[in-house]
Formats: sequence, structure tokens, C-alpha cells
Amino acid sequence: MTSAALPASWRKDVADEWHAALAIARKELHIAKRYPLNLANEVLQPLYQFLLPSLLLGATFAVGGRALGLSSLTGTDDLAGFLFLGVVVGGLVGAAFWEIAFSFKREMDTGTLEPAWLTPTRPETFVIGRAIGAMVIAAATSLVLIGVGSAVFGATYSAGIVAALPAIVLASLGMLGIGYLIASALLMLREPNFFVDATSFLFAMASGVAFPITVLPLVVRPVAYLLPTTYALDLLRQYALGTRPLLDSRIEWLALTALTVVTLLVGQRVFLRTEHRIRIRGTLGQH
Amino acid sequence: MSGGEGRLASLIGDLRAFGAAARKEWRLLRRYPSLFIGFLFWPIALPTAYVLQAQGYAGSSVAATNAFASRAGTGEIAGFLFLGWATYMWISMILWGPGTALRTEQVRGSLEAIFITPASRLVVIFGPAVSQVIWALWMFAVVGMAMGVFFGVDLGLAAVLRALTVIILAVPALYGLGALFAAIVLRFGEVHALVQTVRGLFTVFCGMTFPIIILPEWARAVALALPPTYLIGDLRHVLLTGASLTDLVPDLAILLTIGIALCLLAVVAFRSTERYARRGGSLAQY
Repeated sequence: MTSAALPASWRKDVADEWHAALAIARKELHIAKRYPLNLANEVLQPLYQFLLPSLLLGATFAVGGRALGLSSLTGTDDLAGFLFLGVVVGGLVGAAFWEIAFSFKREMDTGTLEPAWLTPTRPETFVIGRAIGAMVIAAATSLVLIGVGSAVFGATYSAGIVAALPAIVLASLGMLGIGYLIASALLMLREPNFFVDATSFLFAMASGVAFPITVLPLVVRPVAYLLPTTYALDLLRQYALGTRPLLDSRIEWLALTALTVVTLLVGQRVFLRTEHRIRIRGTLGQH
Repeated sequence: MSGGEGRLASLIGDLRAFGAAARKEWRLLRRYPSLFIGFLFWPIALPTAYVLQAQGYAGSSVAATNAFASRAGTGEIAGFLFLGWATYMWISMILWGPGTALRTEQVRGSLEAIFITPASRLVVIFGPAVSQVIWALWMFAVVGMAMGVFFGVDLGLAAVLRALTVIILAVPALYGLGALFAAIVLRFGEVHALVQTVRGLFTVFCGMTFPIIILPEWARAVALALPPTYLIGDLRHVLLTGASLTDLVPDLAILLTIGIALCLLAVVAFRSTERYARRGGSLAQY
């Protein structure tokens, strides 16, 4: 192969992998469409399992109908807005842990993982394809929930929310990196349900989905500052609700970008190493 | 053998089958050690998240903290939330337990074999639930320790004994509910969506994270028809406000009555489902 031909072949490879990723995403969306009740549950489950109990707890602390305590910590008394925006980032976390990473376990169980990996498609393309599918569902769910928050629970978002969209895109890329890491762990574990359940819960809580991270114990708080989702959520709440930022906004954008890049690079590297190791061990079909 | 002796022998046989069913479920649980970590993790992690959320809602506002205390009848926020979520987790176990056990037998193809045995149907419905009692006690113990160690909630021995009495009196209601659930699972063959819906209903109405007085009147009426509302409320009363059992007699009587009604309803529903399944040959279908 000549050096002049290299870029063309590289471009073809990238285009092929991109087509494969889109095909995987379409497959995931097709499967999701086959179970409309599960899709409805994507909206209903956060409502009855998290949002309603949290809103009712908030109502117990309300003074004259206002969330004075929350306002003293965050600068907003829009409790519904605070929680519904939290669920947007919670959806990204759920997508990374359950849809990107755990789908490998589902394929292991059905015995289709090994044949899929025998195709010439790169293993990380499978992760990217699932991520695209999962993020499309997460975005649709978030839009519906934001609408419900506004129409039913009186959440008020400023037009500035649009300025936070790049933060959500960056956080989605960061969660792709986390998806790589969790998928690597899943490929090594025989019984990963508890691991995924517990880590996704802790990740969402440390990102500030349910409460301002300033209430976390001092020993745990540094972990929150290492998660890209913490900054994405803080920026989202700043632009949409006018909350006080955790750090200077410019530093938050910088931290979000840096953590996203690091998470993606580390995640992909760990995933490829794990994939190489289990190919050598021959444990891909075992579960 | 006389009729009386026959009935006695049948009863002893059923009791032995009951013990065997419970032992089998316990052995299955022991085969999955990650479940044990879960039973230690969730009773602490889930309520702690809501305690942190409550701290976020209280912030530095004394008025907000006072508003909680006046509505909840106690200023003990951690205790209030831990007891609510402990009940939620117990209910989750009960809803998943018997229904899932029957569904698993159905999927494995062993359900028909169980139904051919001469053991009473009560063994089939309530046997798997017995092993769940051990987990319920374990979970309440973990919750009690976490409340004491991490949040300094002081639970006296007398209050703990009163709480145990409340838990025992709630057993018929909750296990009746679990058995009723098992009958529905056997009829419709699906467990996941149903558990999520019922659990969601309890979370929203029964006051796991809030006192039910903040609910609108219609929602409070719904809450008062559901047994977990009484269990959560009474546990909070005996452990956090020092109420005696005699103070709670009306509540406990309602809880026990609902419990007996649910158990009878479960038996009737199970028999009807069994007849339906035998006639249609759907016992082994899934």
C-alpha cells in the first residue's frame, strides 16, 4: 500500500465502521420499538420511583409553598425544575450503564456476542452503535420528562437552557467512555447485576441528580468533582434555573471537556485490553 | 386410620413440605453470594441518598426544618426516611419473592411436577415466602444499625420490641399480598411490569418519604386502604415518637383485618387460577 493510498483506505475504514455503528443503533431502536410498554416505562419509572417521592419529600420541607432550604443552598426554589433536570443527566447515566454496558451481558446470555465479534467490525464500534441507540432513547425520554415537569409540576426553565446543550453532548461522550469501562468489567464478571445496579446508582447520586453535591460528606465530594456529569448537570441547572455554580463557569466547561476526553481515551483503552484478554482466554461465550 | 388421624397426618405432612419449600428457597439464595452484598448495600445506600436529599431541602433554613418536623411529627429526618425505605425494600422482596419463585418453576418446567404432589396449595403459595422473613429481619437489623451508627438515632430496646410486634402483625397483610401476586403471575405469566407498577403505587401513596398528611384528600383515602401505610406509620410512631402499642390498637386492628382478608383472597384467587390453568393446560406454558 502506498503512502498516498493510506488516507483513502483510512477514510473507507472509518466510513465502514460508522455505517456499522449506525446499523447497530438502528437494530437497538428496532428492538426498543418492539416493546412499547418498556418505552413508556422509560418515562413512568423515573416519575414514580424517583420524582414523585422526591417532590413529596420536598413538599414536607416547603414553607409557604416555597423550597426555602433548597434555595439557600442552590439559589433556586424551583424544586421541580431542579429534580427534572437531574433526571436528564440520570437518563444519561442509565443509558451508559444499562443500555451500553449491560447489553453485552444480554448478548452473552443469548449467545450472540461471539458471532457478532467474529465479523470484521471493530469491537468498540459495537459500543458506539449501542451508545447512539441508547442516547436517542435517553434524549427522547428527557424531552418528555422536561415537558411533564413544566406542564404538570410547574417547573420553569429559562430559554438559556439551549446554551447548556453542548454540555449535555459532552457528557454523553463522557458516558460513552464510562460505558466502555463498565462493559469491560461486565465481560469479566459472571453475575454483574448487582455491580451495575449499585455503581449506576452511586454514579447518579454523586453527579447531583437528586440533591446538590454540596450536601455530600467531605470525603465523598472529591469523587463528585471527578465525574463529567457533575459539571454537565451544574451547567444545565445554571442556564435553565439560574442556580449558583459550584465553580466558575469557565472552569466547569474546561473540567467537563477535559474529563470527557480522559474518560473516552481511558475507557476505550481499557475496553480493548479487556477484549484482547478474553479472546486469549476464550471466555467470551461463558456466562 | 380414622378421619381425625388422617387429617393430623396430612397436616404434619404439609408442615414438613412447608419447611422443605422454605429450605429450598434458602439454599437457592445461598447459591448467589452477590445477593448477600445487595442485602447489605441497599438498606443503607437507598435511604442515605434520601437523607442527603432531605439535607438539601433543609439547607440552612430553620423554617424548612421546622416545617418538616411539624408535618412529620418528628424532627428525626434520618429515622423517618430509613424506616420508610426499609418497608419499601421488604415489600419489594415480598412482591418479587413468591411470584418470581412460581414463575421460575414454570420456566424451568418443574411447576407441573410440584402440582402433582399431594402437598397443600398453601405450601406452594406461602412456602417460598418464609425464607423472605429471614431477609426482612436481616434488613431491619441493618437499617437499625445504620441509623444508630451513621445518624446517631437512638432506638431503645423497648421501642425495638414494640417495632417487632408491629412487623409480626404486618406479616399476614404483606405475605397475603405476595401470595395474591403469585396467583396473578401464574395467571398472566408476567412479573416485572406488575411488580414495578404495584411498587410505584406504594411509593407514591404510602408515605415512604413523606407524611401522608401532605397528600390531597383523595390520595390520602387511597393511602389508608393500603396496608404498607399503616406499617410505615406505626413503625415511625413506636420508634421515633415513643408511642405505645395501645396507642396504635385501631391501626393494628385494621392492618390485621386487611391481612386476614388478603390471605383468604389469595387462597381463593390461587385456587381459581389453578383450575383455569389445569383446564386450559397452561400451567407449563410461559
